[in-house]
Amino acid sequence: MTGASMQENYLQTFAKRIAGFIGVLFVLSLMIFVLARVVPGDPARIALGPSATQEQVDAMRLAMGLDEPVIKQYFAYIWNALHGDLGRSLISSRPVTREIAALLPATLELVIVTIVIMTLVAIPLGVVTARYRNSWIDNTGRFFSIVGVTMPSFLFAILLQLFAAYFLTDWPIIGRINHGLSPPVGPTGLLLVDSLVHGRLDVFTDAFQRVLFPALALAMSGIGQITRITRSAMIEHQRRDHVLTLQSFGVPDRVIVFSYLLKLSSIAPLTIMGLEFASLIGNAFVVELVFSWGGFASYGLEAILQKDLNAVMAVVLISGLFFIVANIVIDLILLVIDPRLRLKETN
Amino acid sequence: MSELLKVDGLDVSFHTYGRRLHVLKDVTLAIPQGGRVALIGETGSGKSVTSKAILGTLPGNAKIESGRILFKGDDVLAMPRGKRDALKGTAFSIIMQDPLSSFNPVFRIGRHLDDVMRFADLRLGNRSSTAERRQRIFEVLRKVQLADPERVCAAYPSQLSGGMRQRVLIALSLLHQPQLLIADEPGTALDVTTQDEIMKLINRLVAENGLSLLMITHNLGVVRQMADEIYVMRHGEIVEHGPLSEIFSRPRQAYTRQLIDAIPPLYGANVTDQEPAAGDAIVEIDGVSKVFEDRPLFGRGHRHVAVNDVSLAIRRGEVFGLAGESGSGKTTVARMIMGLIRASDGKLRIDGKPVEEQRGSAAFRRKIQIVYQNPGTSLNPKRTVGQTLRVPLAFAGMRGKAVEDRIRELLLQVDLPDHYVSKYPHELSGGQKQRVAIARALAADPEIIVLDEPTSALDVSVQKNVIALLTRLREELGLTYLFISHDLSLMRNFCSRIAIMLRGEIVEAGEPRQVFETPEHPYTRALIAAVPVISDEEEKRKPAVSDEDRRRYLVDTAA
Repeated sequence: MTGASMQENYLQTFAKRIAGFIGVLFVLSLMIFVLARVVPGDPARIALGPSATQEQVDAMRLAMGLDEPVIKQYFAYIWNALHGDLGRSLISSRPVTREIAALLPATLELVIVTIVIMTLVAIPLGVVTARYRNSWIDNTGRFFSIVGVTMPSFLFAILLQLFAAYFLTDWPIIGRINHGLSPPVGPTGLLLVDSLVHGRLDVFTDAFQRVLFPALALAMSGIGQITRITRSAMIEHQRRDHVLTLQSFGVPDRVIVFSYLLKLSSIAPLTIMGLEFASLIGNAFVVELVFSWGGFASYGLEAILQKDLNAVMAVVLISGLFFIVANIVIDLILLVIDPRLRLKETN
Repeated sequence: MSELLKVDGLDVSFHTYGRRLHVLKDVTLAIPQGGRVALIGETGSGKSVTSKAILGTLPGNAKIESGRILFKGDDVLAMPRGKRDALKGTAFSIIMQDPLSSFNPVFRIGRHLDDVMRFADLRLGNRSSTAERRQRIFEVLRKVQLADPERVCAAYPSQLSGGMRQRVLIALSLLHQPQLLIADEPGTALDVTTQDEIMKLINRLVAENGLSLLMITHNLGVVRQMADEIYVMRHGEIVEHGPLSEIFSRPRQAYTRQLIDAIPPLYGANVTDQEPAAGDAIVEIDGVSKVFEDRPLFGRGHRHVAVNDVSLAIRRGEVFGLAGESGSGKTTVARMIMGLIRASDGKLRIDGKPVEEQRGSAAFRRKIQIVYQNPGTSLNPKRTVGQTLRVPLAFAGMRGKAVEDRIRELLLQVDLPDHYVSKYPHELSGGQKQRVAIARALAADPEIIVLDEPTSALDVSVQKNVIALLTRLREELGLTYLFISHDLSLMRNFCSRIAIMLRGEIVEAGEPRQVFETPEHPYTRALIAAVPVISDEEEKRKPAVSDEDRRRYLVDTAA
């Protein structure tokens, strides 16, 4: 009997994933479009304000295409969206895409730093708590994980602010940058990257100090979850035969733990990290507000409060895109880590 | 002969949640220089703990209470850690049991081999370059008959066949030419022909390199080929010890006797011939094929022919055996008969009516039931025996007191006491769990039961009891069995007719006596020849297999 030979197949697996994600994005856009049309409140009325006459509103409805059938409106919206036009803000009447483009890098920077903190803290913590299971290290880790998962991130944000205000009086905690430093512009819009590109260490330090606390507040819940998941994956795998094989031949424990077990045990937490992205964006809405971050998330919050429907739709769509891109990246990493995902059985 | 390894009065206990479990009691055994010693015993007898104690890989909650393990006169238990670690892989090494789970699935085979060699080199104080290690690894891989070491090293574990992985496990233990080889049930997870090849390979390597062998196994047939001296272990104690021929011909302990008797004979006076059934055909299969196809998003689909043009008829009251190695299509045939999957082509009839018309109906489901291979995984661990049995009864439309009565009756039929109703699977032994699984299949009062390797996860003595139970139930209830297995010696005694499958086709079928005495197809001959047997007479009566046939049908050997 021959064993079925297995061949590596990156492209096929990956193409399937992308196709799936495009479908998700499509459904998402449909859902928010319908939602935006059924909520009470006439977009034309909101745009013009309460003092406008009915004739003005009717004229506006016509201009906005609101008297067309909904399905036609939807396809027009998608067509425009594909060309980078998500409509105009009902409040400021500027193109929504341009408004968001100006704010997106701030949020992107915050989220990236959050992910880095999450990974750097949670995975080693998971490994250590698994290694010293049921010791005081594990118990302390468990305590902080539960605190991280259960406490809402805005509470962390406020606590961290209070902490900084009392003990680190020189630490800047509000806003993204000291504008007196005249930060460099471009090429990425991410201050931490741009400042290094332009060799501006002073800007980098300031931006780093300011991003640290909001990112920490955002990271807490993820740290709690991922620590626990890494820990249980490590514990599950360290009982397996393959660990015994290496031990039997005297491969040192540190190699078994940090190389063999860690790679195998990182699959589950990475998957979770992709899902974590959704709550990350949701939490960013509030955390940005607490730290006056002035990013895309606070823009979204503003849009919701003012019933700026076009802006809300754009924010949801872009958040969805964010989530999907993050998951594509994670899927790609998983494909590299886990050969079983890309091996296809052939004879 | 001088002793290479001596285990002297070893006592080991496990501590879990404040409870102390005494697993090894005063174990003493000696392995002479160049000798082949077997340690036999059933599940939980302490064989593997003994090997772990020798290797130094006991889990953290194990404690060595007393005793010594002398390697060439030095007590390894008294050695400092560094010195003891230096023995691993170089003085003694182990051939792991399960060829799949013994490799980390996300690392390439070559990485495993290289890491083992690199750290052993470091401990020996040798500096070695990657390229030089690669050369040495390739050499060892060729020694275990892996012809393309480059491909093997670049492969992930899941890309190799079971036989190839087992060879790599052997290579792993030979990287540094140890003096003692510990083999922990090598090949038991593999097909019988592959297992046979692996045994021959280990034997040859041991002889060529002058190694000593400690063979840990529950398969007495394997022992006959692989050992000169035997230790029998039970409940953590050595109960009997002596040379192979003596233990096999004149066992002193009742337990040893029982172990030997539990093995179904392949040839000779003790073989049971089952009466051929005279009833009408209850299952008829005519030219049935099954093709599995996957549909990728783009590109060409891939077709896999699992079953090809199979025809057979099972008579009422018969035990029909379907034999073959993994991947031969026997389970696929059973699943089609049960209506779980559709046939791609051909006709299946049960009781004269096409399966296609009956599948999914309650009456059909009640007619045919299945017992799975591993009762440990086929029973829901969170349900009591009673809850498990209640499910099929509820489907059969039974309510109230009738259910309780029926459950009691079922437990009686499978020889389990009444109060087992409230037990959970983890409270039962393997044999008891399988009895519950049989009771579950009986619950709906079926006519046909598919037995998918029902005893391969059990110890031989337990297997004997379960088979006796199945035989009795068949007589009492007039059941028809479709028995799927790769254990040919068991099938010889239990089945009234058998069919041999190879790559989706039936190559030979008939009454066991005729198939085993005069096998026609070369594959059948090769299959029978590979079955481990416990006596020389049986060995002599096995059919001869030419080298050419071996190459033609046992492809796995040295790919």
